[in-house]
Amino acid sequence: MSKLLTVRDLVVEVPARNIKILDGINFSLEAGQTLGLVGESGCGKSVTCYAVANMLPRGIVRSGGSVTFEPGGPSTRKPAVPKIAMIFQDPTSSLNPVHTIGYYLESALYRHQGLKGSDARMEAMRLLERVGIDRARSRLRAYPHQFSGGMNQRVMIAHALAAKPQLLIADEPTTALDVTMQAQILHLLEELKAETGMSLMIVSHDLGVIARLADRAAVMYCGKIVETASVAELLERPSHPYARALIDCMLSIDPDDLAPPVPIPGSVPLLDSLPEGCHFHPRCLRASGECSARFPAPANIGFAHEVSCYHPVAA
Amino acid sequence: MSTPLLQASGLTKAFRHKTGLFARPTTQLAVNSIGFELAVRERIGVVGESGSGKSTLGRLLLGLTEPTQGDVWFEGINHKQRRARDWKEFRVRTSLVQQNPLSALNPQMTIGQQVAEGLLVHRIAGRSGAYEHVAAMLERVGLSSAMMTRYPHQMSGGQRQRVVIARALVLDPRLVVFDEAVSALDVSVQAQVVALLRSLWQELDLAYVFITHDLRIVRHLVDRIAVMYLGRVVETGDIRSVYEWPRHPYTRALLASVPTMDSTVRNIEPPIKGELDASMVSQGCSFRSRCPFATDRCAVETPELRPIPAHGASQHAACHRAEEFPRSIVPQIGMVTERGTASREEMAL
Ligand SMILES: Nc1ncnc2c1ncn2[C@@H]1O[C@H](COP(=O)(O)OP(=O)(O)O)[C@@H](O)[C@H]1O
Ligand SMILES: Nc1ncnc2c1ncn2[C@@H]1O[C@H](COP(=O)(O)OP(=O)(O)O)[C@@H](O)[C@H]1O
Ligand code: SF4
Ligand code: SF4
Ligand SMILES: [Mg+2]
Ligand SMILES: [Mg+2]
Repeated sequence: MSKLLTVRDLVVEVPARNIKILDGINFSLEAGQTLGLVGESGCGKSVTCYAVANMLPRGIVRSGGSVTFEPGGPSTRKPAVPKIAMIFQDPTSSLNPVHTIGYYLESALYRHQGLKGSDARMEAMRLLERVGIDRARSRLRAYPHQFSGGMNQRVMIAHALAAKPQLLIADEPTTALDVTMQAQILHLLEELKAETGMSLMIVSHDLGVIARLADRAAVMYCGKIVETASVAELLERPSHPYARALIDCMLSIDPDDLAPPVPIPGSVPLLDSLPEGCHFHPRCLRASGECSARFPAPANIGFAHEVSCYHPVAA
Repeated sequence: MSTPLLQASGLTKAFRHKTGLFARPTTQLAVNSIGFELAVRERIGVVGESGSGKSTLGRLLLGLTEPTQGDVWFEGINHKQRRARDWKEFRVRTSLVQQNPLSALNPQMTIGQQVAEGLLVHRIAGRSGAYEHVAAMLERVGLSSAMMTRYPHQMSGGQRQRVVIARALVLDPRLVVFDEAVSALDVSVQAQVVALLRSLWQELDLAYVFITHDLRIVRHLVDRIAVMYLGRVVETGDIRSVYEWPRHPYTRALLASVPTMDSTVRNIEPPIKGELDASMVSQGCSFRSRCPFATDRCAVETPELRPIPAHGASQHAACHRAEEFPRSIVPQIGMVTERGTASREEMAL
């Protein structure tokens, strides 16, 4: 497999407040692969997505490290310009309420593929049908507020497809949806990935979503990746105490598994008062003296399995 | 047998909707002839997709919305017979916890003021008594009493949710309706709140209705569950039996849609497609437009909520074919067919 994306020592800061949101992020993504980012709110998952898509909001800047694309392949004429599309948690508010669905899709098709007039309309209809919206012709005249959250997420996905992306970034795409709609959207993403060969970055605080879609997973805490492994390995042999704790607080519907959740004590610290050393130490049951002195360097503990912890949980 | 704490019968709420500028308003039954009983200290979960009528049911039970038809009794008194004084008493003995803790809290008031408000309004305590009461309540939900002087924006999401719970419990109510109280929170915070509610309930004389679209959370918090679809209860029973052997295709689909922690479960067709379709309500089974098992009978005959004989007295389902479905719902055991995709029928059978 060929590498699509390499992120090295990425640092993102808020210059006005002199705080680091991301502090030395490293990962890479192969063409066609899916990477899952997991962690509690405020750990930097969305900012990682924005940094990769080169869409950081005003007020926060990349101050170090690199994000490199190697789109490769003989058909790529302009290898340095990656095609990235992004979808978000709240589709209804990310769609402009004054434009019809048709306008939204057709203008994207013009921008990305140069399609105009009836060509654009035909392609917009095809995309809507592809993402599971029936009566596409009449739906092109509809406005976002006339659609449910699930339908608008489908529209967002159609819009993303108009860019023929090599990488689709999906930031909590199903968090605001019912489980039934979540199952539909997750399956749609699976199918589209298989059809187009695009890579996917999926963010969720729900490990079940990551388990379903991702090949590899990275666990984030306070702006750092603390563990990364194949998703199967991470779920079976989580090694970082935080990864382990996240898994232990997942609730199950399995009738044989009646164990109540084991909550993680405390909460994610604020960026302007991060604990010294390993940021997780005030909440960690395995913490010792050295944990609060210096951040633990990442170490390989298995095939493509890296963890930053002085006292990783044994397999 | 003692009187139930809360009872409802034939509860119905119709809303008039205008779909377009010139369209004729249509009537929608958000809640459609629901019967309901809750014992002292009993915990019931209400689940279903959004739009199925869960919040409306919660508001009807608390007398915050007038029913179009039907009755609600609390401690033996019909809501319709309550006078202003009785409503006051009722408000002390019940409370509602809603979805978003940030919007539920007043940004301009300290945590202490907000938790104390009910005590002062209902003259349960004077200022100094209230202070002690609030401090004790905050400690009880796992917050330090020093938090009293803070404002909501100075707290994490999980801490705010604890404040909202403290405020709901400070009057020592007999009944609380939790409406999506933990749905918007991180899984880690959900786990904290679930653990908190479990331990609080042990200590309190409290019954609750826990409304959620999250089937993972509710399982750890209730004794009984009611599954709603388009305003009706389509399945109900004790939580264990329903999760072990769901009888209604909708319940089965909801459970089968929950993501598992098994990374080998992939390329599974969604158990049901589409969304709620309110045009299905008038006649027949309102789930038929999405049900893989619908027959001609389902289009004409509305299934009654009836006991499922083979499976203990407590489980009821509103499906003509409820006896035909096996115990297992497939995706949980990770079936992937040779094509890599399990079909809808294979999934559910
Ligand atoms: N535009 C911004 N300005 C300042 N801080 C920000 C901005 N966006 C995000 N942050 C901060 O960066 C951290 C990471 O945020 P985010 O990436 O949204 O987390 P996640 O997606 O994991 O919940 C948070 O502490 C958040 O407050
Ligand atoms: N105040 C209202 N006016 C008109 N329609 C309403 C009102 N409240 C709820 N509805 C409608 O009733 C149905 C059920 O809504 P709700 O009780 O909020 O469901 P849930 O809580 O299960 O999502 C929905 O179709 C909704 O649009
Ligand atoms: S480095 Fe120390 S504090 Fe950090 S996760 Fe490992 S054991 Fe816990
Ligand atoms: S009554 Fe018919 S349509 Fe309704 S759930 Fe049962 S099988 Fe499906
Ligand atoms: Mg985010
Ligand atoms: Mg609701």
